[in-house]
Amino acid sequence: MKLEGVDVKAVSKTFGGKAGAFERLLGRTPRGLRAVRDVSFSISRGEVLGLVGESGCGKSTLARVIGGLLEPTGGDIAFRGVKPRLQMVFQDPFSSLNGRWRVDDIIAEPIRTHRLRPKGEVAGRVAELLEQVGLSPADGVKYPQAFSGGQRQRISIARALAGEPDFLILDEPTSALDVSVQAQILNLLRDLQSRLGLTSLFITHNLSVVRLMADRVGVMYLGELVELASADDIFTNPKHPYTRLLIDAAPDLDPIDRTLHPIPGELPDPSRPPSGCSFRTRCPYAQPLCAETPPPLRWEAAREVRCHFDLTPKSLSVPA
Amino acid sequence: MMEQPLLSVRHLSIGLSRQGTQLPVLNDVSFDVAPGEVLGVVGESGAGKSVAGAAIIDLLVPPLRRTAGEIALRGDRLDLMSPRQMHRVRGKRVGFIFQDPMTSLNPVLSIGKQLKDTMRTHLRLGSSELHGRALDWVTRVGLPNPERILKAAPHELSGGQRQRIVIALALCAEPEIVIADEPTTALDVSVQAQMLDLMRLLHKETGTAMVLITHDLGVVAKMADRVAVFYAGRLIEIASTRALFQSPRHPYTAGLIGATPAPDGQGGMQVVAIPGAMPGVDALPPGCAFHPRCPRAQADCRTVVPPLVVLGTGEAACLHPLPERTAA
Amino acid sequence: MIVARSLFSTFRSAPGATLATLAIAALFAYAFLVPLFTADPFQLAGMSIMDSFTPPLWMDGGNPAFPLGADDQGRNIITAMAYGLRTSIVVGVSAVLIGLVLGGALGLLAGFVGGRTDAVIMRIADVQLAYPALLLAMVIDGIATAVVGRERSATLAIAIVIFAIGIAFWVQFARTIRSSVLVERDQDYVAAAQITGRSKLAIVMWHILPNVMAPVLVIATINLGIAIITEATLSFLGIGIPLTHPSLGALIRNGNAFLQSGEWWISAWPCLVLVVLVIAVNVLGDHLRDHFNPKLRGRS
Ligand SMILES: Nc1ncnc2c1ncn2[C@@H]1O[C@H](COP(=O)(O)OP(=O)(O)OP(=O)(O)O)[C@@H](O)[C@H]1O
Ligand SMILES: Nc1ncnc2c1ncn2[C@@H]1O[C@H](COP(=O)(O)OP(=O)(O)OP(=O)(O)O)[C@@H](O)[C@H]1O
Ligand code: SF4
Ligand SMILES: [Mg+2]
Ligand SMILES: [Mg+2]
Repeated sequence: MKLEGVDVKAVSKTFGGKAGAFERLLGRTPRGLRAVRDVSFSISRGEVLGLVGESGCGKSTLARVIGGLLEPTGGDIAFRGVKPRLQMVFQDPFSSLNGRWRVDDIIAEPIRTHRLRPKGEVAGRVAELLEQVGLSPADGVKYPQAFSGGQRQRISIARALAGEPDFLILDEPTSALDVSVQAQILNLLRDLQSRLGLTSLFITHNLSVVRLMADRVGVMYLGELVELASADDIFTNPKHPYTRLLIDAAPDLDPIDRTLHPIPGELPDPSRPPSGCSFRTRCPYAQPLCAETPPPLRWEAAREVRCHFDLTPKSLSVPA
Repeated sequence: MMEQPLLSVRHLSIGLSRQGTQLPVLNDVSFDVAPGEVLGVVGESGAGKSVAGAAIIDLLVPPLRRTAGEIALRGDRLDLMSPRQMHRVRGKRVGFIFQDPMTSLNPVLSIGKQLKDTMRTHLRLGSSELHGRALDWVTRVGLPNPERILKAAPHELSGGQRQRIVIALALCAEPEIVIADEPTTALDVSVQAQMLDLMRLLHKETGTAMVLITHDLGVVAKMADRVAVFYAGRLIEIASTRALFQSPRHPYTAGLIGATPAPDGQGGMQVVAIPGAMPGVDALPPGCAFHPRCPRAQADCRTVVPPLVVLGTGEAACLHPLPERTAA
Repeated sequence: MIVARSLFSTFRSAPGATLATLAIAALFAYAFLVPLFTADPFQLAGMSIMDSFTPPLWMDGGNPAFPLGADDQGRNIITAMAYGLRTSIVVGVSAVLIGLVLGGALGLLAGFVGGRTDAVIMRIADVQLAYPALLLAMVIDGIATAVVGRERSATLAIAIVIFAIGIAFWVQFARTIRSSVLVERDQDYVAAAQITGRSKLAIVMWHILPNVMAPVLVIATINLGIAIITEATLSFLGIGIPLTHPSLGALIRNGNAFLQSGEWWISAWPCLVLVVLVIAVNVLGDHLRDHFNPKLRGRS
């Protein structure tokens, strides 16, 4: 039996919406912070689903809910086939390694927990993993404090790979890495993906990385999924205005034209999302309708879009 | 006729003591930062960028130690200062954005308290003004609902939100120079652009200079006036941003630029990794540390450590530098 | 081990802490080595009434066999103090250990399980905090003595005192550990272990516990000073440890009776040793606290 797929069904996560004793006395429920709102998608076996979106839009929270680290306040996660072996690479390379453990013990932990190798082979496997992520086997005896941010992130990746997961959650796995090491790690992950048919969720804010790695890409805004399509479609033909703006905001390597293209306006407060479409406060195409009714997630060919209109948003950085 | 640099680092070396021996982590690094200038620092993960940044304000913790070098801020020798004097320089004259956001944040204090404490110690403001300023800073770094953020504990914020608070903490004391260690890696492209805009603005308003440590070449291309490239504990190339991107002279710099997946590539994207891995501090090869991975390496590279020499408008440490490429 | 190594490297810049550590080491050696080579002065064989009230060597009537003098029973002060110090240290260390184990377990439980368990444990802690440690120890000692009866054996009496003092310490350990656990619990390395499928108990024991040990060590050190003082106070008041196994406190109490008549040395020497020990332990504790508090290291 193998993992057949992962279904995320109408998952919501609200922080702090529960009434304490004092509020109950006053008959009030505090307004919670709705970090993830009614998100649904499926990842099929062997697929890499990319997840992008602005800082604070709920990507890590969703990842933690899927990984079983947080209880969702609504909806559920279903694994088709067997209960999978999970591994996760965390966004912060500093808090994700136990500072009191030696690096080889850190990497060996999933191997030992799941008894993936006979005792005598653990050390050899750890050395092999260290090499795969571009560190030296001799680094195993050191403690995490002796490593730079990027080196720590690679240790964290080695630990995740050590667990031989069926389903791998990667939360910004390469944002702490310089481009050359990043390229090495991305190639390693792609190689494993094609050889082992690894199913994974790949969260990143680096659009070129997600384009390189993902089969399909989901775009999140303020806790909601606003667009989901194949990686190629998302980049060559985005349908949601937010997706377009996000693509345009990425800095290129041109040191002469130094204009930056941040998305105009500010991210609204997630505990008080705007009425109607959550993106309307920053959307260049917004109409009166957008303030009244929240747009449903529309199906269009192999794509889902949460916008009232069928737009072909224009690039801002490329003069039309 | 160079004007006096704001920050001048001369022959900085850092050693790692292990079992009685000293391993060099940073080797004879010199650079200047002019007032109002942004110096980008890039390089392989583990090359010594963070360690160099920490050494400038004397924040190395054992087993790391500065073994040589002079560091001067507007002529004041930081390397000769007592811990007491250094304490007054830190935060007030030199702001620091750490790569690990939790180094700057206390996990049990609210964001508002931490911002206010920082401003109180460095700016001598009254408490009514403090609150307003704290709100103002949270708004400036683009966080929604600043009142909630001020009350929140660090772990209640997302990775990017935390990073922005750290940026605000470093900037709110209005320092002369900010050492920013990966200030935007936790941020998405849009917020990143917004932060860079903010830093540029402050930069213009107050003339704050910046040492911008990052591995994101896109950020460097947009922000930096000059770029320093580190490899295995050495400064191997330093040049104006334009010259560096247009015509890298060191083969490592060229490889680094080539390894970036270009955002507008058509269809099947590829990344070209530089083959091999950077040697650790305990396994440095003789000669040029890059030679085992270098496509241009020749016999002499294995024995001679290349010195940093002037090449065109910049400097590079390579025995067989790439020819200068003029604008196409 | 990494902690220990970097700790020693900070001693160089803290001469006070180095001195304190040396003093503690010397006092421990004194307390545990001297009894190996001498007869117990609190048994008949160790006393010599002939020599009672011998003053220190440099005073009139001093005797080279009693450099610091002898007490009312003719015991050599140097020997008597070693036995007293040993009792003090044993009682202090054991009491702290009891507090640590009890408080540690409850603190871990409260912090990691949270919810109602946490609330109950912390409320009990709050209530206990309202009573001073000394008072609590006296009450517990009183109750235990009443239950066991007056005719208790010396070992049992010491055990009761240890327990009475130790129980007063659990609150501080529990609170500190709980708040450290609350911080550590949110760290991603704990989440990583959870994802890997480690059990709750394994996570607490192998991941969280090693990370909360640093502040515990600090409190243990500082509390050692308090425990020794508490015990000395109890003994001085004549509660607790029987005179056959006197502690420094009992020696001071004994000598106190002769202060008026000019035999100051009987109580002054144990007093001095007690003060040096407690100050040294506290200096070391402060140093450990600064060392483990990254916020105090280097930056504001
Ligand atoms: N434990 C928590 N308690 C309260 N609010 C939280 C908590 N964790 C996250 N949040 C809030 O939930 C929202 C989403 O956070 P999340 O970490 O999922 O964002 P993200 O998309 O991963 O952003 P980034 O790219 O910056 O990491 C944020 O507004 C954050 O402040
Ligand atoms: N406390 C320490 N003990 C031992 N070695 C250390 C310590 N801190 C750093 N190093 C070593 O020093 C080298 C430089 O580290 P540094 O953190 O400066 O790298 P960096 O260039 O900032 O990399 P990154 O981009 O990954 O953050 C690394 O090879 C690391 O292994
Ligand atoms: S629904 Fe309206 S506001 Fe929302 S993205 Fe579409 S056009 Fe913009
Ligand atoms: Mg995140
Ligand atoms: Mg670094």
